[in-house]
Amino acid sequence: MLSTLDEDFGNPSSMHWAGRRAGILITQARAEVAAGIGSRPEEIYFTSGATEADNLALFGVLRQYRPGDAHLIISAIEHHAILHAAAQLVREGYDVTILPVDSDGHVDPQSVRQAIRSETVLISVMLVNNETGAIQPVEEIGAIAAEHGILMHTDAVQAISNLDVNVHNLNVHLLSLSGHKVYGPKGIGALYIGKGVRIMPVAYGGSQEKGLRPGTENIPGIVGLGAAFRFAQNHKAEERKRQAQLRDHLIMGLRARIPQVVINGPSEKVAPHVVSASFLGSDGEMMLIRLNAEGIAVSMGSACTSKSIEPSHVLTAMGLPREQIEGTLRISLGYPTTESELDRFLEVIPAVVQRTLS
Amino acid sequence: MKTYRICVIGGHCGVRMIVVAEHLQELLRNAGYICEVTHQSLWDHPTPPYAANLVLELLPAFTEAEAGCPVINIKPLLRDLDHPQIIDQVLKHVQASFSLVSTQSTR
Repeated sequence: MLSTLDEDFGNPSSMHWAGRRAGILITQARAEVAAGIGSRPEEIYFTSGATEADNLALFGVLRQYRPGDAHLIISAIEHHAILHAAAQLVREGYDVTILPVDSDGHVDPQSVRQAIRSETVLISVMLVNNETGAIQPVEEIGAIAAEHGILMHTDAVQAISNLDVNVHNLNVHLLSLSGHKVYGPKGIGALYIGKGVRIMPVAYGGSQEKGLRPGTENIPGIVGLGAAFRFAQNHKAEERKRQAQLRDHLIMGLRARIPQVVINGPSEKVAPHVVSASFLGSDGEMMLIRLNAEGIAVSMGSACTSKSIEPSHVLTAMGLPREQIEGTLRISLGYPTTESELDRFLEVIPAVVQRTLS
Repeated sequence: MKTYRICVIGGHCGVRMIVVAEHLQELLRNAGYICEVTHQSLWDHPTPPYAANLVLELLPAFTEAEAGCPVINIKPLLRDLDHPQIIDQVLKHVQASFSLVSTQSTR
């Protein structure tokens, strides 16, 4: 990747030797990303990240139709890249159905079936939820979509680092990816577009990525994404097992130390790298501040806006009361996470919880 | 005459913290109390505010011993700027302590 900032600085659109070298690097990276999801290299389109990939999928499919002629189905726990893009489509006159989830944060495939209309053109349900780790029944939903001749998209950003992802097994036509969630660089992602699937671009100005994502390619990012996918392919099976053990260790440790802790999300069909824990009665941000002072980095389940505290839309969709959401932390594990780091967190957290009761 | 100092403590919700501080300053002024209402984000300054006569917390940050002055939890103002019980609590406290502080002479 570093060589693309120096000796391999060529622009792949150039015909000379330097451009051709850069082009070869893109081709290699495309093949590595494709191998990571079981697709053909020519079905991978590089973007600036998963947000752009999600936008390209939704706008690219829906805008081929006139408003009123096309219907989109998404779930209530999607990333804002989907939710906000869908909201824009509504403003443009398209119909969107937002499916609820159960108390574990799973979408019921039967609710998808019931939401399908004659004008439904796309279903988008994420593969792994970023706040709870809940693995969604994308394979089943994709099969329902196929029965009706509807395109199926999934945002697989949270799945790639630990789960085996195969576009054919998942029955998806479109799949979004991100670099930094698989230990690659930030500012790079990709959209898988299955062969024969027609979508239109959202930006214009060049023939890069077959005209679907015009603009000079982010060569360092693309090469980094390819390397990250290669790395993940070699480590994910072992990491999945190791992180599942770490997750169990963390949850058992929390339950042993803090009686009022509630673990949100499912105990099965869950990715190993996310734990959503509610510390009833404690203030989420104050916990974050005190943990930060101890050198521990976690996230919380609500966010302040200029007008109020906005609780997580995911936890809200799961039916959690606001007070519980405000005391929620999202603890993410990763390839570098060690058991001793979790033990340090477990050592610190009881006093933090006690000190932040609101 | 000494200035009566109130510090609103908040976190990442910086804009909301400022809105709360400005709202309280105006409310107290309208009630006849000229106070200096400042604000402090715990992300920028995690230590207790300097020389405050009253600390108003949007987050449960400090004990009264740490702050060196009375501390009132005003978290409900995050959702409702005019939360009656909280406003009443703040007003009563300022009423009771304002004259004690503001009539002290300074050199």
